Amino acid sequence: MATSTTAPAAVAPPVREPRSRTRRGTRSNPLGWIFSAPYLVFIAVVFAYPLGFAVYMSFHDYFFTAPGVTVPKPFIGLENYTAALVDPAVRQSFVNVAVFLVINVPLTVVVSLVLASLLDRVAHARAFLRVTFYLPYLTSSVAIVGVWLFLFSSGGIVNRVLGPLAPDPSWLVNERWAMPSIALFVTWKGLGFYILLYLAGLQNVSKDLYEAAATDGASRWQSFVNVTVPALRPATVLVLILSIITGANLFTEPYLLTGGGGPNGASSSPVLVMYQNGIQQGQPGYAAAIGVLLVIGTLILSYLSNRFAGGRDR
Amino acid sequence: MHRRTARLLAATTVLGLTLTACGGGGGGGGGEAQDAARTARGPITVWYSNNEQEVAWGKAMVASWNSAHADQQVTGQEIPAGKSSEEVIGAAITAGTAPCLVFNTAPSAVGQFQRQGGLVNLASFPDGSSYITDRSGDVAKQYQSSDGGFYQLPWKSNPVMIFYNKDLFKKAGLDPDNPQLATYDQFLDAARKIKSSGAAKYAINPAPTSEFYQSQFDFIPLYSAESGGKQIVADGKATFNDPQGIAVANFWKTIYAEGLAGKEAVQGDAFASKVAAMSIVGPWAVAVYKGKVNWGAVPVPTSTGMPIGDIHTFSDAKNIGLFSACKNQGTAWDVLKFATSAEQDSALLTKTGQMPIRKDLSSTYADYFTKNPSYKQFGDLASRTVEVPGGANTVEMLQTLRDAYTKSVISGQGDVTQTFNEAADKVTSLAGRG
Amino acid sequence: MTTTQQTPAAGRTTAPARRRASRRAVVPALVGGLTLGIGAVVFLFPFYYMVVGSLQREPDQTVAGAFPHPSNLTLSNYVTIDARLDLVRSVLNSGIFAAGVIICTVVFGALVGYALAVLQWRGRGGVFALALLVQVVPFQLLIIPLYVLIARSYGLADNYLGMILPFAINSTAVIIFRQYFLQLPQAMFEAARIDGASELQLLTKIALPLIRPALVTVVLLTFIGPWNEFLWPFLITKRADLQPLAVALANYLSNVANSTANPFGALLAGAVVLVLPVVVLFAFFQRQFVNADLSSGVKE
Repeated sequence: MATSTTAPAAVAPPVREPRSRTRRGTRSNPLGWIFSAPYLVFIAVVFAYPLGFAVYMSFHDYFFTAPGVTVPKPFIGLENYTAALVDPAVRQSFVNVAVFLVINVPLTVVVSLVLASLLDRVAHARAFLRVTFYLPYLTSSVAIVGVWLFLFSSGGIVNRVLGPLAPDPSWLVNERWAMPSIALFVTWKGLGFYILLYLAGLQNVSKDLYEAAATDGASRWQSFVNVTVPALRPATVLVLILSIITGANLFTEPYLLTGGGGPNGASSSPVLVMYQNGIQQGQPGYAAAIGVLLVIGTLILSYLSNRFAGGRDR
Repeated sequence: MHRRTARLLAATTVLGLTLTACGGGGGGGGGEAQDAARTARGPITVWYSNNEQEVAWGKAMVASWNSAHADQQVTGQEIPAGKSSEEVIGAAITAGTAPCLVFNTAPSAVGQFQRQGGLVNLASFPDGSSYITDRSGDVAKQYQSSDGGFYQLPWKSNPVMIFYNKDLFKKAGLDPDNPQLATYDQFLDAARKIKSSGAAKYAINPAPTSEFYQSQFDFIPLYSAESGGKQIVADGKATFNDPQGIAVANFWKTIYAEGLAGKEAVQGDAFASKVAAMSIVGPWAVAVYKGKVNWGAVPVPTSTGMPIGDIHTFSDAKNIGLFSACKNQGTAWDVLKFATSAEQDSALLTKTGQMPIRKDLSSTYADYFTKNPSYKQFGDLASRTVEVPGGANTVEMLQTLRDAYTKSVISGQGDVTQTFNEAADKVTSLAGRG
Repeated sequence: MTTTQQTPAAGRTTAPARRRASRRAVVPALVGGLTLGIGAVVFLFPFYYMVVGSLQREPDQTVAGAFPHPSNLTLSNYVTIDARLDLVRSVLNSGIFAAGVIICTVVFGALVGYALAVLQWRGRGGVFALALLVQVVPFQLLIIPLYVLIARSYGLADNYLGMILPFAINSTAVIIFRQYFLQLPQAMFEAARIDGASELQLLTKIALPLIRPALVTVVLLTFIGPWNEFLWPFLITKRADLQPLAVALANYLSNVANSTANPFGALLAGAVVLVLPVVVLFAFFQRQFVNADLSSGVKE
């Protein structure tokens, strides 16, 4: 994960003292650990323990029982994993999420970048526009899903406007369109947060760069491409990774929008399959195995996107 | 950075595993405590469903118990019903925070609760089995676990029927007082007329979504009738791919293929909003549609058009579970018997219109059925209800059936017989495991 | 991990100069304005539709239905919700839940964020990676072990503490704190240290006041998590008088709404009730956000 906020080096050399000293370990401030202690305790309790539990379950034929009841929960090695890998429902859910990411991630990056840089320079109605863009992000899916169902149902206003162009069956019950519709919804809902991240990044871009570009006769588009986009690279990597992570953890939307991953599982997601197996059908071990596979997949994807988008930061 | 993340993930997991190992050692040895709890008396907590009518009944029942038992007070609470109440109960069992009685236990969840060790076998009370069988008669057998115990008290059922909208039928040129809906052909003819006349957008509109429980309101009621009262699993073997099951599936497939039912979930109630001219519902609907829809009710169709006296249907039952976390199980058992006494059952019937699972229901409450003729057919059907299969894998079986159904029937993909055969094999193996 | 950080160039262009520069490009500005305008419509329309739909007596899905019609207007959808739910109580519960999370996140999150950005210590990279890692793991994987832990081991079922605990420190907030603290010039801290200030004083007296915009962002981001959270409080609270608004509304929607005359209206009215406090709060803080932009020269 790239965490530097370096602006193009050509403009101004870093003023700050280099940090390399710490790396060599000549000085380590014990306050670092003390300040972090509450957070670390928190992580140990609500994250490490349940995660360890989940990994433990994934190697067992696990079953949750009432206190004091003993049911055999035999160690079964990789059985849950092999079963998950050949389960067509699990496979389909991973394919679905891939489709989701292919639509959602580029769209998120491009649209939030464009809107953020426009918003950064706009003089009027700034407050209004901000509230507008953040609104979907601030709203609970539970609340907003109803409106989308209303808008995108077969007799809904979207299809009425589209007329003969409307897909049949309608968006969310069409095997081809269900996942893209969900991807659009999630993109729309999340953009506010990513715009916020980009805006924060934009505060770091030296205005001199734009001045310099303008003096060179660059058009606004050229300065966007040559100044803004490169300067925002660290923010872009963050946006990329966070949107991959949220996409991989997709659950609420298929659960609510398409009645549990319909039609025919065309909009199911790994977390949804996990939920069905682990919580509804009482097979937490199997569900945990799916979850662990998902976490590994997400880590690989984030690593790759950091590798390729983060590029020279390493 | 990411190499570090991977290392960190491993470290965190190991830390978590260590914590798991330390924390997981406890427990064990609850047998004696359970025996002592069996006779203990004192205050208890019960949960009832949160729909308006049942809350009213629950409050009245608790108040009337409390007024007579100052030393054994009952605290009543609404539980979040809806989609996830089984998940809440399951989690509460694991945490040992379940209440004493839940007056909304779904039979499809009982097998899992039992395997979790969350339920008390009611047959372990001296008068347990006899009380249940005396009250419910033969129907009680469907609620017995494979070891012969009763981990639920069969409480009330909602035998489902076809409701139809008389006004829309008239508009479609169908006889509103004596509609011909007994056989599949008649039903399809009527449905086509509704659609072609434009009386309603859909003839009928069961939820076409993939949740495991949805089959209980399209496939299973018709299969119960067509097969003369078979469960979808009998003697450890899936039955729903037999000729009757395939006939039911093909009937629904025609409905969907001709657009007589929607493939899209309708927000709210399609029948109340007149989007659909028919609906598959239980007696609760009588009160709900009162004054909103001019309705009539007929039994679900069969290929041969069985008379109502021969029709079996899905029960849509809600039962009562006594949970092992309960400290005062003696009181809980008494409250359970009090709440299912003839008097309380009468109150339940009057307040909610749901059918207490009692033998001779129609004769016991003859007065009620004379005064409320619209409930009469339901009362009659209540003695011929069919339940979902028991055991710890019920939900997975239902999900398997549902997946096969949405694919081959609703979407019309692939061959119905083949898809159902594959699903049946899987369900049979699940039944073997459970 | 390289964490080089550059201070913004000292000689920032003055506002008039910027305006002069952009005046040359009227057409691109128009295109930009138009894009923002279309964006605003796309973002706002569903909310507008939500409000209109919640006021309808009969659901109207036609294009004309998008415009309120006097004969089809009613407040009854809201009246039904109010009659069925104890709105004041559930808003209060949501408030306690959110406030607990916000306080923990601001106090402890700022501490970690400061340690990660300003202090030099071994293990810093590891802790930061941990904050990222937490987000990779889906909550559904952890929820049952967590529930057993909190309800069985700690006995915190039906308790505000149990509700708050899993959300107590928002890891995204930690990352944002760190990011903002990184933007403050190290030299400033060095100077204060030479003056004998302790790190805690540096954090509370210098760093935090300087990143007020981040604080607002963190409070807002942290607020919406618990405010909108459904699954966890749903599991951990059985008592109706402890349920936050999202849970109470979801219950209402899954049971009661279907049996009302206009289920869509009821659903949308419920959505409005849930969204409204967030919008009000955000609109209130909006001024802070704008100020934040104007004063983003903190770094200079």
